[in-house]
Amino acid sequence: MAQTDTLLRYRPWRGTARGPLYAATALARASLKLLFRHWQAWSLLALSLLVFFFFFYAQYLVVWITNLLATDTVRFAGFPVSVRNITRFFEPLALNGTAHTFGNFIWYQGYVLVIFLAYAGSVLVGSDFSHGSLPFYLSKPIGRWHYVLGKCLAISTLINLLTTVPAILLWVEAGLLDDWQTYYFKQWRLLLGIICYGLVLTVTLTLITVATAVWVRRTVPMAMIWMGLFVLLPMLASSLVATLDDRRWRLIDLWNNLYLCGLSCLRADSATIRPQPQPEFWQAWLVTGTVVSSCVLYLRKRVQAVEIVA
Amino acid sequence: MQPLIELNAVSRKFGAFTALSDITLSLPPGRIGLLGPNGAGKSTLLKILMGLIPPSSGTGRVLDEELGGDRDTEGNWRLRRLIGFMPEADALVPGLTGVEYVSLAGELYGMPRREATRRAHEVLSYLELEEARYRYVEQYSAGMKQRAKLAQALVHDPPVLLLDEPTSGLDPAGRDAMLRLVKALGTDHGKSVLFSTHLLADVEAVCERVVIMAGGKVRGEGTVAELCARRQGRFRVRVQGELTAFRTALEGAGVKFLGDNGQGELRVAVPNVWSNLTFFQHAETWGVVIRSLLRDDETLEELFLRTVAV
Repeated sequence: MAQTDTLLRYRPWRGTARGPLYAATALARASLKLLFRHWQAWSLLALSLLVFFFFFYAQYLVVWITNLLATDTVRFAGFPVSVRNITRFFEPLALNGTAHTFGNFIWYQGYVLVIFLAYAGSVLVGSDFSHGSLPFYLSKPIGRWHYVLGKCLAISTLINLLTTVPAILLWVEAGLLDDWQTYYFKQWRLLLGIICYGLVLTVTLTLITVATAVWVRRTVPMAMIWMGLFVLLPMLASSLVATLDDRRWRLIDLWNNLYLCGLSCLRADSATIRPQPQPEFWQAWLVTGTVVSSCVLYLRKRVQAVEIVA
Repeated sequence: MQPLIELNAVSRKFGAFTALSDITLSLPPGRIGLLGPNGAGKSTLLKILMGLIPPSSGTGRVLDEELGGDRDTEGNWRLRRLIGFMPEADALVPGLTGVEYVSLAGELYGMPRREATRRAHEVLSYLELEEARYRYVEQYSAGMKQRAKLAQALVHDPPVLLLDEPTSGLDPAGRDAMLRLVKALGTDHGKSVLFSTHLLADVEAVCERVVIMAGGKVRGEGTVAELCARRQGRFRVRVQGELTAFRTALEGAGVKFLGDNGQGELRVAVPNVWSNLTFFQHAETWGVVIRSLLRDDETLEELFLRTVAV
């Protein structure tokens, strides 16, 4: 020790300290670094890229086929197939640069996203509780909400990386495949809708992720809860709607509520939303708002209960 | 000299329970040991000093900063920037390397990213973790973990270090190294250290002053030497020769015998009016040689047990 002491003198630091908001961004950056140290995170990112590239190239393919080969036939396994039959395959995805294109993209991306968030929640937040890292963060000159904000920023980045950013790229692509000046000029509201949809997803999913991670902390229970929320509840909702003939039962499907909120941001016609029947947009907003408020209240209770000095 | 910590009638209640009762203290800068059994109020005092909880009544300051106010206020953040806190709990962030961990702590204290990284390298080198700085913190040994925790407390070069059981879980060599390091930070780099521990030997090795707490009150405060010397009128006399007559003569002069180790060392309590010459006069009379005459100061352990038992 003494030898090091003589070789490496302790040097004072006399800089100007920045505020707690800066600390929250540093916390977010460190959290993302931590997450992408795991190969599972890269695998899930690759999977989400597959979904994006499928939509990206399929959108291009549909336009190309429609414009250039509209009346032609191509030979498939030795049989002539009308190209119109090929485009029919993509019809449920509505790859035509409308509100449903982006709504569908985010809907399908959601399957990867919920798994990713279950994993990210346990790595970024759950492990802080289970490994006792919280005193490290909370003994610093930041508030408890800055800690939550830092973690939420990291998770928000992830959500937007998987949904909003690629959806905007699809919007740009749709414009380039059409008369771009007309498309961008006429459909700028769609861009705004995508951003709003992204915002709704960001706020809701971030808070649910952080709240469930604080609650259960570990990956497997987190995955089970998310399976319950995003797989079992939708199945239950569908069967209840069919059995009791009341479309309001679909409100227990959280992902569907987010989809409805998103489509209302994209100004889609509610009659064209699949599956039918669907509850009203305002009902979906109300349920989503209630979920968000509950998460905030729960987080407030849990974060304030943390002991920094044992 | 500006006091390091000044508390005026500080109390803290949790419902009906009084954790701290009317604490008044003025501690100068230096290395201060905070001793007390479980439930003495040490942790509550540390929380108040870090601005994590406000006192129920009373006022106080740490250097220039006033204590009090709600937890998440600018004043409390300024207060926490003055303090480097090393928690007793593991408080590491698994998945980060040593340098990332310390650098993140720097950024949470408000240091710009580049400076935090540079300073993390310097502090880790100073604490002899240079070779291990790119290893993940969860792979560190117990001693390395304690030093990494000290590094994160030191990264922003605070004037005050608040160490909660810094030698907890260390082997004897690691403990010695940690104590030397903490002492060097005080003596060579002018840091004030508030050292909370159960281990009296650690306080004796490092601290100039000690605060003894029990039942939410300060039971003793002062320099270690001062407190241990407060027991007036007690001596250790090492003598050579026939003791019986010497003892009888001293008893006749009002001396009480508190102990005899059987090897010529007597522990005695003298009357209020006493001259040490009397020892030598009786020794000469009864043919005994006095080899040493020392004040029988209390050990820190005796002092602690006596103070806490009050």
